Amino acid sequence: MEYLASTILLIGIFVILAASYNLIIGYGGLNTVAHPIFFALGAYTSGLLGAATGLPAVVCVLAGVAVAMAASFVLAITTLRISGDYLLIASLGFQLGLLQLVNNVEFTGGPAGLSSIPDTFAGPGRGAIYVVICTAAAALVVWAIWRTMNGPFGRAVRAMRDDELACAALGRSLIGMKIRIFALGCGAAGLAGGIYAYYFQYISPEQFQVAQSAEILTMVVLGGIGTTLGPIVGALVLVVLPQAINFLHLPNGLVGPAQGIIFTALVILFLFLRPGGLVGTAGAGAAH
Amino acid sequence: MSERQSNNGSAFGRRKALALPFAALAARSGRAVAQAKEPFRFGCLMPTTGLEAGYGLDFVKTFEMATKDINDHGGVNGHPLEMVVLDTQAKPELAIPAAQKLIDVDKVPLIVTAWSSVVKALGPVMNRGRTLQLNMGANSPDIANLGDFTYSTFPLADVDVTALANYCHTKMGKRRAAVLYINNDTGIGGAKLFRDTFTKAGGEIVAFEAYDPKATDFTGLLLKVRVANPDMVHMHSLAELPQVIAQMRQLGMTQQITSYSVGYNPKILAQLGAAAEGLIVTSLAPTSTANPNVVKLLDLWKQVGRAPNGLPYLQYAWDTTLVTAQVYGWLDQQNMPLTGENCRKALLAIKTFDLPMTGKLAVTDDHKVQKPVYLYVVKNQQFTLLETIA
Repeated sequence: MEYLASTILLIGIFVILAASYNLIIGYGGLNTVAHPIFFALGAYTSGLLGAATGLPAVVCVLAGVAVAMAASFVLAITTLRISGDYLLIASLGFQLGLLQLVNNVEFTGGPAGLSSIPDTFAGPGRGAIYVVICTAAAALVVWAIWRTMNGPFGRAVRAMRDDELACAALGRSLIGMKIRIFALGCGAAGLAGGIYAYYFQYISPEQFQVAQSAEILTMVVLGGIGTTLGPIVGALVLVVLPQAINFLHLPNGLVGPAQGIIFTALVILFLFLRPGGLVGTAGAGAAH
Repeated sequence: MSERQSNNGSAFGRRKALALPFAALAARSGRAVAQAKEPFRFGCLMPTTGLEAGYGLDFVKTFEMATKDINDHGGVNGHPLEMVVLDTQAKPELAIPAAQKLIDVDKVPLIVTAWSSVVKALGPVMNRGRTLQLNMGANSPDIANLGDFTYSTFPLADVDVTALANYCHTKMGKRRAAVLYINNDTGIGGAKLFRDTFTKAGGEIVAFEAYDPKATDFTGLLLKVRVANPDMVHMHSLAELPQVIAQMRQLGMTQQITSYSVGYNPKILAQLGAAAEGLIVTSLAPTSTANPNVVKLLDLWKQVGRAPNGLPYLQYAWDTTLVTAQVYGWLDQQNMPLTGENCRKALLAIKTFDLPMTGKLAVTDDHKVQKPVYLYVVKNQQFTLLETIA
């Protein structure tokens, strides 16, 4: 069933995005809103490469990951000397500038979007194949982040988040850590973009607006910032909830407003009752 | 040319023409009101929340009115017609899962849609799900190339923009045009069409400028246009059209302004007042003066208690419901199951639809729709018919 498959796939994609964003903002304490552009870079690189060369999807998606990681170096290197609000503003400029570029060059399709992405798996089993691939990719990303954050590097990253000066005084290279966190997190976002592009076969700049950062951040905060399971729970709740409201058989004019009201009320309620997130504790993670 | 003449003299029999398709369907069933038989359902994907909800909700309301009218006249061979509506916010990422729910859970064989980015995003979904998509309001020229399961009941931009550009050059004698457009799918497609047609006709494009969809100040852009000294300015805008026109007039620029069907909206006249005088816009559907059937739709909207947004689009919404009913009726007569593939077969078999609100619709292999283009000019704060281009 394609609908079920696409819902699970969206959960998987948002688990990757939320987990990788959690790595950067939750564990690393690096305030950035540029995550959607790395998602876009993965999607556009994969889609364009697939459409132009006919290379296998795996190769194109990996190329998307590589481009997203390369772009993350640009952001990391240009923002090494800044943090906090300044990093936030710099990442906003990076997101808006690159998206304008995607929006204004011919070969990406501009605002009209890219619709010539090849269909890799035709036939009735297509949805199931993508679900398996996406679930495996999401599990791999979550495992990789968990593994990274539960070793010496992870402890150093948390130390950097809590006090940069103290961490540097211990002989840790903050620059190297920031570059690695950005590379891992943004590369994962590129992976999500590649899967998204191949599954939906249509991408446009409006799907990667800066507002998407708020959506992913809500998933992270709702689930539990700075935790392994938090982004998974957050993505699950925020993808499934609007879909579930569609099944309430409300009158036509009420479905949209009801989605907004129920969704917002639940998010506020969750955050009020569990400020540390659904799986987090009040004091867990980065207290941003 | 008067509006009635523009309709090629074919006086639509008010009410009669409107009721004809339903009466035929109802006669076969021998029932006055459809109730007992299994309902025939179709999907409707519109923005009922978000920035475009003003139009989207009115489209949905009109679909509901048309569906009720069909059911009041006996339904589709006695089967009540039912609509399942889901919100898209005019965003592709929301439209895709919504379409998949309609296909897989609600099992609808046909979905009506609008907004170019949504229609384009749904192209591959419809092809894979073998479900028919009827676009009733999006006009990106790319929509004609989305595959076997996407057809339009609404003309794409190449119909009215081409006619307008040719008219400006040949009839109005304009030789130097500036084009201002919103930097999105609708704006770029329409602006390029205007530029190419106007240039091909022998005119010169002296300025071709895009602005950001979120822009509110157009002064710099307009000053650039003023320096280029055009005879006319074509604006391929959306909701910000009144702002651009107002700022242009405030800068003392008196050039002729043209726009496309989005400019044919009484709200723009109310917002602009005297600044709207002389504005030329297109419309792809006849008015109530030219087509008395439209009066019925307006009467129904009077019961709602307010003027509808984008009346010509609503006329297409009404007629698209009729197309859906006729497609389902044809399949029912042939004892064929209601599937997306069969709906496509029915659409191609019926081929020509006589529709009460927008006239004849011919389904063609190139997935394009040809309709007369109505050019209106604003005179004394009213849209006055300038020319009908068949």
